[in-house]
Amino acid sequence: MAEIVAAFGVPHVPNFPAQVAREGPQSKVARLYAEVASHLDAVSADALLVFDSDHLNTFFFDNMPTFLVGVTESIEGPNDQTPMPHYRIGGHAQLAGHVRASGLARGFDLSLSQDFSVDHSIMVPLHFLTPRMQIPIVPMFINGLCPPLPGARRCYALGEMVRAAVKEWPRNLRVAVLASGSFSLEIGGPKVPHDGIAGTPDQEWTRRVQHLLARAQINDLLAEATAARMQRAGNIGGELLNWIAMLGVIGERKPRFIEGEIEHGRCYGAWRWD
Amino acid sequence: MSVYAVNKLCRDALRDLGFRAALKRDPASAIAPFDLTADERNALLCGDVARLFESGCHAFLLAYLPRWELFGLTIPLYSERIRKARDPRDQAD
Repeated sequence: MAEIVAAFGVPHVPNFPAQVAREGPQSKVARLYAEVASHLDAVSADALLVFDSDHLNTFFFDNMPTFLVGVTESIEGPNDQTPMPHYRIGGHAQLAGHVRASGLARGFDLSLSQDFSVDHSIMVPLHFLTPRMQIPIVPMFINGLCPPLPGARRCYALGEMVRAAVKEWPRNLRVAVLASGSFSLEIGGPKVPHDGIAGTPDQEWTRRVQHLLARAQINDLLAEATAARMQRAGNIGGELLNWIAMLGVIGERKPRFIEGEIEHGRCYGAWRWD
Repeated sequence: MSVYAVNKLCRDALRDLGFRAALKRDPASAIAPFDLTADERNALLCGDVARLFESGCHAFLLAYLPRWELFGLTIPLYSERIRKARDPRDQAD
């Protein structure tokens, strides 16, 4: 039977690959990704289910899903001119199709794409975590960037649905979960700093989210992560919904590793129970 | 305001190098084919990103414009203008 073996959360800043190439493996970002990667390596996952928010690159306002499962065997990216290597990774289409069908049967009206590329928000994490692109992914897109967004409790329930779907999968499969996103960042909106195009307006929220994650205080997180609260953290504040969906898959567990870069509005975490 | 057309125009500036070059060369002619209101056309040509943002254009997309200094926008100028915009989504809990 399939099982959920671990979960991870990381940010996906587009300039990370170039920054780490410049600053080397001892730089803080490189070390934090390497720590998360070591936990992923240790659990020998057969598939990686990724909760992600596209940045108007895969989807646009002509066709904007709130929840979508990518059901395909091959995915390329990045598709948004991020300065990094171009990759092709396998998709676990069978598991993805099963999760989608299971969701529909449980009241989650999940949209479908069988032909799509992905932007930096998936490829930057994979560049660091699975650079050989050896683990097929199941991409699950949550609209975290174009309000109105789905609610935190709904995203948690989406994760719980995914857990049930994976458990029903009738073959042996070790499934890990990855959440992509930061907690506080404003890009191009009114909260940017003087003379800048991006900034971190809400260190307090970042610290609070890390605190709640570290203690597995999930109910508090779900209560506090309102649309207005995430919005105050910047126009990427809704990327937290990817982490919340990931938590829905694994339940109230404490991370084995979590570290924040509070001044940059982001955390890195790994959840294991082996 | 046909916000969709402005959003689309910004995304085309990212993806279509020929369009981007045309925007640099002759912005008024380059945006002529888009289904824009007179108000939108004027706001774009003046680089009035605060007005476009307040009308509902997505900040991620507007932020492409200063990357190539389109419509006269540098990053400091974009920042100065967008910081004065009212964010229609800001509200109390």
